[in-house]
Amino acid sequence: PICPNRSGCQVSLRELFDRAIILSHYIHSLSSEIFQEFDAQYSQGPGFFTQAISMCHTASISTPAGKEQAQQIQQKDFVILVIHLLGSWTKPLSHLITEARRLPKAPDALIAKATEIQEQNQRLLEGLKKIGKLVDPEIIDNGNYAVWLGLPSLQSNDLQSLLFAYHNLFRCLRRDTHKVDNYLKFLKCQIAYDGSC
Amino acid sequence: ESPPGKPIISKCRSPEKETFTCWWKPGTNGGLPTNYTLTYYKEGENIIYECPDYNTSGPNSCYFNKKYTNLWTIYVIRVNATNNMGSNASDPRFVDVAYIVEPNPPQNISLEVKQPEDRKPYLWIKWFPPALVDITSGWLILQYEVRLKPENAAEWEVHFAGQQTHFKILSLYPGQKYFVQARCKPDHGFWSKWSPVTSIEIPSDINMSD
Repeated sequence: PICPNRSGCQVSLRELFDRAIILSHYIHSLSSEIFQEFDAQYSQGPGFFTQAISMCHTASISTPAGKEQAQQIQQKDFVILVIHLLGSWTKPLSHLITEARRLPKAPDALIAKATEIQEQNQRLLEGLKKIGKLVDPEIIDNGNYAVWLGLPSLQSNDLQSLLFAYHNLFRCLRRDTHKVDNYLKFLKCQIAYDGSC
Repeated sequence: ESPPGKPIISKCRSPEKETFTCWWKPGTNGGLPTNYTLTYYKEGENIIYECPDYNTSGPNSCYFNKKYTNLWTIYVIRVNATNNMGSNASDPRFVDVAYIVEPNPPQNISLEVKQPEDRKPYLWIKWFPPALVDITSGWLILQYEVRLKPENAAEWEVHFAGQQTHFKILSLYPGQKYFVQARCKPDHGFWSKWSPVTSIEIPSDINMSD
């Protein structure tokens, strides 16, 4: 079992999870805000962005879509999954921040929020690697992240294509940060509280 | 006699992030018996499914149990009305179950005036999470609010209780009757309705000093 000698290890795991969850909750709240603000600022009528829905680049990472599926996953594999999900956003966030200046209506607030998400995402990724070490020393971040090929669409000269690209990116960011937050709260109870918070 | 009016999908809601229900409002029935079917497809798929359960959640509803519920997946949902003169479909509703979580209210609120020897008396409020909700696995995390007011007061006094299922109220008026309610909310989602009112009368002879 995890933390065989129980004493310090389980306490520090709880502390690490609590800190990680404060971050993941905050990151998802920011992601929700940025998604809604983008929608409010750039939508051109009801249903405008429903045409923008396309596959997230992280769809290649198989993730549980419900509690029962989550309960089937080995804890070690689940931690690795969350690390991959998070790590898959390092590159898109970086390019998003750089390219967002192209957007009309001077999106400074939006860029500032995206920058904050990027920074907190990195902190959370580091924290998860520490958690990984305690859960299972074999857990390493092999950088096996989902491939993101969206840079050309963030550089499009066609305004509608540009807006659709950003909308889908923010929608996927909101979705994945919600997943990470949800999974960490679940894993904390499974790992650090023996399955029952 | 005419084709049916356009139905409207009025609400979709998940009470515990494991199942969900959508409700619709029928349009006009064109003076003829009209049949309603709910169809949907999921993001990234082309298969059109029909509602798995029209009964569990009552009339004009479709219930998706755990087997049919995937979070973080967009369901594109439509309701179709059909009678002998023709049919009419609702606008599509885009639903991701992760963002429609609205729990049922907390249950079994109990109230007790506690009078410890060495400290001020207080009102001890206790409740239980809504029925049929698993809050021990960490999949769903609920936060609570309680509110109370003296019997004839207009304004409620609201307190945030975090994830606790109890709360202590210190400032009480002897002889006063109080109404109390509680509600809950997931970490990311919507507040439940308030629970039914529970009331208690503070004894007149209670000594409020330390």
